[in-house]
Amino acid sequence: MKNKFKVQNSSQHSVESKQGKAKNLIAIYCLLFTVYCLLSTVYACKPRKEKVYRKSKILMDTLVTVTGVSNSKENAEKAIDAALAEIEKLDRLLNFFSPESEVSHINKSAGISVIKVSPDMLDVLDMSLMVSKNTEGAFDVTIGPVITLYDFYKKIKPEESLIKKNLSFVNYKDLIIDRNESTAFLKKRGMLIDLGGISKGYAADKAVEVLKRKGIHAGLVSVAGDIKAFGLKPDGRPWKIGIRNPRAKGQEDDIMATIELRDMAISTSGDYERFFILDGRRYHHLLNPKTGCPAEESQSVSIITNRAVFTDAFATGIFILGPEKGMRVLEKMGFDGVIVDSQGKVHITPNIRGKVEFKKTP
Amino acid sequence: MNLKRLLSSITIADKILLYLLILLSFSGILFIKEVLPKGCEVQIEVNGRLVYVLPIEDNRIVSVKGPEGRTVIEIKDHRLRVTESPCHNKLCIKQGWIESGAIVCLPNRVLITIGNREYSNIVDAITG
Repeated sequence: MKNKFKVQNSSQHSVESKQGKAKNLIAIYCLLFTVYCLLSTVYACKPRKEKVYRKSKILMDTLVTVTGVSNSKENAEKAIDAALAEIEKLDRLLNFFSPESEVSHINKSAGISVIKVSPDMLDVLDMSLMVSKNTEGAFDVTIGPVITLYDFYKKIKPEESLIKKNLSFVNYKDLIIDRNESTAFLKKRGMLIDLGGISKGYAADKAVEVLKRKGIHAGLVSVAGDIKAFGLKPDGRPWKIGIRNPRAKGQEDDIMATIELRDMAISTSGDYERFFILDGRRYHHLLNPKTGCPAEESQSVSIITNRAVFTDAFATGIFILGPEKGMRVLEKMGFDGVIVDSQGKVHITPNIRGKVEFKKTP
Repeated sequence: MNLKRLLSSITIADKILLYLLILLSFSGILFIKEVLPKGCEVQIEVNGRLVYVLPIEDNRIVSVKGPEGRTVIEIKDHRLRVTESPCHNKLCIKQGWIESGAIVCLPNRVLITIGNREYSNIVDAITG
């Protein structure tokens, strides 16, 4: 009996020890699992690394690239798509070549009737007139009847008499806008407004507004050469913009200089964008509204200020005015700029001296 | 040892261990997905419509039809170029080989971009 009890006691002891070991193991595993869960939670709650997201599209007859910094790919893509959609919407309003656009509607009604226009169109026209006044009419959106005489692909230069005839339709003072009534009117039949010198900058500004509304705090919108930068890159640095060399011979000397921008816009107008050479003379798209001929005093003009709509339009206007008058306009407006004159000499506003890093003098 | 005996010998601790191992394997997949660099892809759009998404690692020649005719793109050794284009100025061909960024042919409405690759460390955009 005593022996039997002993055996029973020892087997009970071994069962208890096994159960104890299992309990210890379970406790270790539970502890490990808790640590794993805690680490996973910490990882999930940790703010994700910010990345640069970018998308390009052909819009406004050019390459548009929208860049946004975000810690969420989904949010960045949604915001970028919305910004591209905004540019697409503006393209439908402001495209000179589309017969359905609002600008074509105004042109078709020139000398006939006053046209009710959208707030965007009203803003663009209002700012166009402001730039015209500040550039002595060198920037003029009513250049349409003359620019249509040139064909830069087929290398067609119009007859002097034809230029002279069509110049009578070019005058920004004959573009009448009424902000209260939201209307626009071209006084003379035959007048045409071409917003190609301002619409891309305006679109860049509007796209940035959309990105910001969608929660993107840093990014870059580039509509051809009209660029608006805001915020800082994930590495904490400003956005680095290259300024094209107007007389580049290859990829090696494609960029003349670089500048770092934050919450600023930059645009460049150059005689190398749409041009042809005929009898040793360069015919490009930046026409002087007084003569109807390509302006010859500059090779390229880059303007820097906080709004792309102004950098775009002033770059065109100052290119036409030339370096001397152009520098005076920049000083008056408080804008910065880099002007490469017809001899290749670089003129630069004092505020950005030292901030523009030149790679090679053009 | 047959399956029945094996199953009967599994303790609660074994089950928890198995469960933990499965969890670790999944977290490994997530970790690799998050940390390791992603491959580069070439996107080809014609007239705003995405027509090709191709890995840059595979050498190939692709032809797309735009409003003006056929544009031929060559992908080779992790870079690409346009070899044939119906456009007037042939700027897309003159651009030569690119390893990042985009080639655009406005007349034929063709846009070729290299995605998922760190952007040029020289500049973020070019004006002009």
